[in-house]
Amino acid sequence: MWYPDWPLRRPDAPPDSPAQAVGEDNRVLAVNALAADAGISHGMRRGEAEATCPTVITIASDPAIEAVRFEPVAQAIEELIPAIELAAPGLVFAPVAGAVKYYGGEAALVDLVAKEIDRVTGPGFKIGLAAGPFAAQRAAELAAPVYIVEDDAAFLASLDVAALGSEELAATFRWLGITTLGALAELPRDALTTRFGPLGTQAHRLAHGLDRAPQNRVIPPDLDVEERFSPPLENLEQASFIARAMANRLVTGLRSHGAAPHRVEVTAEAADGTTRVRTWRNRDPFDEASLAERVRWQLNAWLDSARFRSGPGIRGGVVRLHIAPADVSDRGRQLALTQDARSVAEAERAFIQTQAIVGLDGVVQARPKGGRTPGERVAWYRWGEPPPEVADDAPWPGRIPDPTPTLVPAEAPILEVEWDGGMPTRVRLGSRWVEVVSWAGPWRDIGRWWEGVGPCDRYQLVTSAGAFLCEVRDGKTYLAGVYD
Amino acid sequence: MVAQIWTAIDPVTKPTTMPAIEESAVSGINRNLLHLEPGRIVGLVGHPGFGLTRVGLSLLAAQAGQSPIAYMDVRGWLCPVAAWESGVDPDQLVIVRCDDPVRWGRALTALLEGVGWIYAEVPRGVKEAQLRRIASLVRARRSSLILRPVQGDLPGGVAFLRLQAGEVEWEGTAAGHGRLTARSLSFTASGKATRGMTRQIDLEDNGTDTLRVVPGLAATPPGRAAG
Repeated sequence: MWYPDWPLRRPDAPPDSPAQAVGEDNRVLAVNALAADAGISHGMRRGEAEATCPTVITIASDPAIEAVRFEPVAQAIEELIPAIELAAPGLVFAPVAGAVKYYGGEAALVDLVAKEIDRVTGPGFKIGLAAGPFAAQRAAELAAPVYIVEDDAAFLASLDVAALGSEELAATFRWLGITTLGALAELPRDALTTRFGPLGTQAHRLAHGLDRAPQNRVIPPDLDVEERFSPPLENLEQASFIARAMANRLVTGLRSHGAAPHRVEVTAEAADGTTRVRTWRNRDPFDEASLAERVRWQLNAWLDSARFRSGPGIRGGVVRLHIAPADVSDRGRQLALTQDARSVAEAERAFIQTQAIVGLDGVVQARPKGGRTPGERVAWYRWGEPPPEVADDAPWPGRIPDPTPTLVPAEAPILEVEWDGGMPTRVRLGSRWVEVVSWAGPWRDIGRWWEGVGPCDRYQLVTSAGAFLCEVRDGKTYLAGVYD
Repeated sequence: MVAQIWTAIDPVTKPTTMPAIEESAVSGINRNLLHLEPGRIVGLVGHPGFGLTRVGLSLLAAQAGQSPIAYMDVRGWLCPVAAWESGVDPDQLVIVRCDDPVRWGRALTALLEGVGWIYAEVPRGVKEAQLRRIASLVRARRSSLILRPVQGDLPGGVAFLRLQAGEVEWEGTAAGHGRLTARSLSFTASGKATRGMTRQIDLEDNGTDTLRVVPGLAATPPGRAAG
């Protein structure tokens, strides 16, 4: 978010004459509309600006006072988006990944921010939204008053090299025939570093939108927690107490480094020397309560299975319990505005319990992916595990048209269909035959000979009892889907 | 398998009385009977092919918003693409596959403890007492549950609103030409939601994420008391 004329937003700034604010380096920081119309632009030298427009009134910028006056704006933005960064009075960067999901989209977020700052200071601001601060600032410069960048690479590639902010460097690049950041980005970084040193490296990074150096969080490896028990731990109430205490130690230790575990490895050693290991994973980082719960469940399961001899558990009690964070990150999951943490936690607990009843493969989610048949268009994954990275942007000619059958058998059963001269006439549904009212097709699928899948013809059959997608392969008709 | 599904359910009885014309135009699935209420069960009864899954998913999509939706899939046949086309958020749809009647009951009980919007196909062999226990749990937890038996009907009184599939008519196809585009669906509604009367509901489904109640046809013909 950027106020181009923030240094001029002061009581002594003339509203009806050309005015400019200059910094300590005697370069123009801000101009009002009249001065801009007269030809003065940002970054111009003071003398040059005054030569361009002799009637311009020059005001010396005072960043300290401007920052104080900008504080209400910053606070208004911070009410909506946490962890904002003030680059200068009038220029704010905000990480919006979480806020976009919270407020239901980029447009909704920008609209909300615009309304809020308009309420505080009135119009005159510009908002640019992009994946990186450099692209966002360039977008804000072009905004009227909002510019949302859809594709950072394409946006940056179209910018002039002057966007790098160095006149000398831009002039050199132009002399070399490099006029846009896109052309600059195509050059090898090594070549730029060799020719221009750190300045060239930085320019190349900016051209790629890599304007912020990644800072990996360093998490010490010795944050595991361990307890030894003598006599061995056999009592479930004791186990609950111990689990809570150990979860507290582990989560507190990680929290001091600003991180939390998404996955933990619980290891228990039995009195007879047997060691059992089980990994628990959570989509959200574990907190003390959720981690203690998982450890308690696991100990309960091991001790019970040994007691009732229903599986390989812990016999003779636990003599050592070890919990290790296996997947630590500083990233949580942003909830939407309409979600509340308690109901989300309750739902997740319910799904975990359901997984325990029907098995891990019995609780699944799906993501859209490219494909021609309804089955091919779904990427399945277990609930609680990260979704697969799949593409869904290819055109897929020959795809079965929408609407999609609601019910699609995993293995298509045989459907009895009567044909008359290549046209379907009747379908057997249970014990009765139903007339085919109308039908569409055939749509030929050449199959995948290299995988042993032969060609088939697909039809949409419409009866008085509903519509069905069927496949005719090797002279037999199969039910590929029901439009239920 | 298909034969079992179709033979298991009694033929749908067509309403014998013509519906009266209603003055006000009705549009949108949330109107009148077709909505989910906390602590209530909606029962969907009928053969596959009569649009019941689509109706159930549309009801959930319209009201669940950003909350998780659990779909208990007995046959393993649900196509998530159709659910997404009905307006269900892919991130919020969780499919639970279970065909064993005992584990089905335990899993549904576990889901009701934390998930507010559930569509559950009912497998063969689930006892009436188990369904009544689930109904009382739904009332206690104030969850919204849709039950769809894959065989037979629900016991009387379990469903607050019972939708019996009636007729389906598709448009868009001819003798080898075109493709499926839209359909009109007809249901008979009964149960406590209709105050013991039976009502006919006609819907138009053009494949988008909302179903449209046909204006002027959702009326209350003379009916009989329902449990």
